[in-house]
Amino acid sequence: MRNNVGKYAATIAWPVLVTTLILLAWEISVRALGVRSIILPSPSAVIETMAERRDLLLTHLWPSLYLTVLGFLLSVVGGIVVAVLITYSAIVRKGFYPVIVVSQVIPKISIAPLFIVWFGTGTVSSLLLAFLVAFFPMTINAAMGFESIDEDIHRMARTFMGSRWQIFWKIRMPNALPYIFGGMKISITLAIIGVIVSEFVASQEGIGYLIKLAGSLLDTPLMLAAIVALSISGLALYGIIAAAESWAVYWQPPPEAVGVGGG
Amino acid sequence: MRSAVASSAPARAPGRARDDGAAIVRIAALKKTFGDLEAIRQLSFDVGDGEFLSVLGPSGCGKSTLLMMVAGLIDPTAGEIRIQGAKVAGPRREIGVVFQSPVLLPWRTVLQNVLFPIELLKLPRAHYQQRAMELLRMAKIDEFAGLLPRQLSGGMRQRVAICRALVHDPNILLMDEPFSALDAITRDEMAVELQRIWQAHRKTVIFVTHSIREAAFLSDRVLVMGRRPATIIDELTIELPRPRSIAVTEDETFNRLVRHLRKAIEASHAE
Repeated sequence: MRNNVGKYAATIAWPVLVTTLILLAWEISVRALGVRSIILPSPSAVIETMAERRDLLLTHLWPSLYLTVLGFLLSVVGGIVVAVLITYSAIVRKGFYPVIVVSQVIPKISIAPLFIVWFGTGTVSSLLLAFLVAFFPMTINAAMGFESIDEDIHRMARTFMGSRWQIFWKIRMPNALPYIFGGMKISITLAIIGVIVSEFVASQEGIGYLIKLAGSLLDTPLMLAAIVALSISGLALYGIIAAAESWAVYWQPPPEAVGVGGG
Repeated sequence: MRSAVASSAPARAPGRARDDGAAIVRIAALKKTFGDLEAIRQLSFDVGDGEFLSVLGPSGCGKSTLLMMVAGLIDPTAGEIRIQGAKVAGPRREIGVVFQSPVLLPWRTVLQNVLFPIELLKLPRAHYQQRAMELLRMAKIDEFAGLLPRQLSGGMRQRVAICRALVHDPNILLMDEPFSALDAITRDEMAVELQRIWQAHRKTVIFVTHSIREAAFLSDRVLVMGRRPATIIDELTIELPRPRSIAVTEDETFNRLVRHLRKAIEASHAE
């Protein structure tokens, strides 16, 4: 156990060190070269801004996070339902599945203005865009998880007269969990992008709106403060999913630290 | 077409089993083709109640296909299989199967894996929990009941699979090369264990293997299958006293049996 903790400390020590060095270099060069804060504020200036304009940042952060989480949850439920249909219905698998896959060629973000036309500026458009971009990886991953059961396991369950229902709940579902969590990790990041882009296009609130507003006012410190706040939130959401994964998928040895820092 | 063949009298193929009246499994004029490939041709034999029968043959000779048909997972092309008089048309409660690999569910503990058939068959779990623990004790893995499969060695996992196949108290145990993935030392050990378990429970066992030694050591009777399409080319009754220990494999009697079986297999290759 202690060894594990030591290993974990070692894996995070290096990235932390590198990040610190980069921030330090940034701070020093901005001060030494006298870069104007409208071009690039120093890290300390950004932190100062975050503290000073905390209320403004939070006011705009909440609606964005709320829509992100809601869109994400909808995509999880929707993705799993569609994946079940893909697994069990030949019509969906042969007819709709290829269409869903090919439709991914469309950069979904480019549909944002169309959503504004259809659903107006506001929460509905943001929510739908978040759902739309997050839905696909969820569906693909869950479908893969449901279908990737070992033929021998399926056979074993059949010799013990397992019904389709039992095979789904007792075999396919747990078997799909690692895949579903893999999909969730991708979807949460995409859901954030969906909401932010939608707020860029047309919205009167949200962190995306704030970033755009700060940009148009040439308030670079505020812009960076908003970006940092958004990144921290994204990291936290990703971390919650990763923690839920290691709890739910207890039977798999913990993954190497490779993917963990990627959030 | 199938029913017409099935209703015809079973042909007496060479190596037809003795008809001792106590047969629990009867296989008559069994045939299986996959497209153009004829896997099994005119296969007929009986298995006595409580008998340990091995089906010995080279890899890919169709013996696993035979076992899957007895398990009700594959339909025969022609002929029929009867278990306790009833024609096999699908998986049946009185059968337990052990596969080549343990096929344990990685998210379940050893005990939960053993109880899996009980859940699927909707039997009272409380009642069978005790039985599952007894089986684990007999297989000498009861101290690992709470562990996950990945924490066990290959031999232990296969022991769990054997306990799982026995938990719902089936009359017939089908084993499809269950020890082929294990190392030689573990294999010998598992053969002794299996014999002990079989003697305690007296299930009818159909044991498919390509190991001559294993077949000779474990069985009451060995059926030798030739190359595809599979038919029985020889039959040998093993009358060594039980319980047999691994030391028996060094006896002259045992080696004579092994030589006999090897010759039968080699003869089928020469054809």
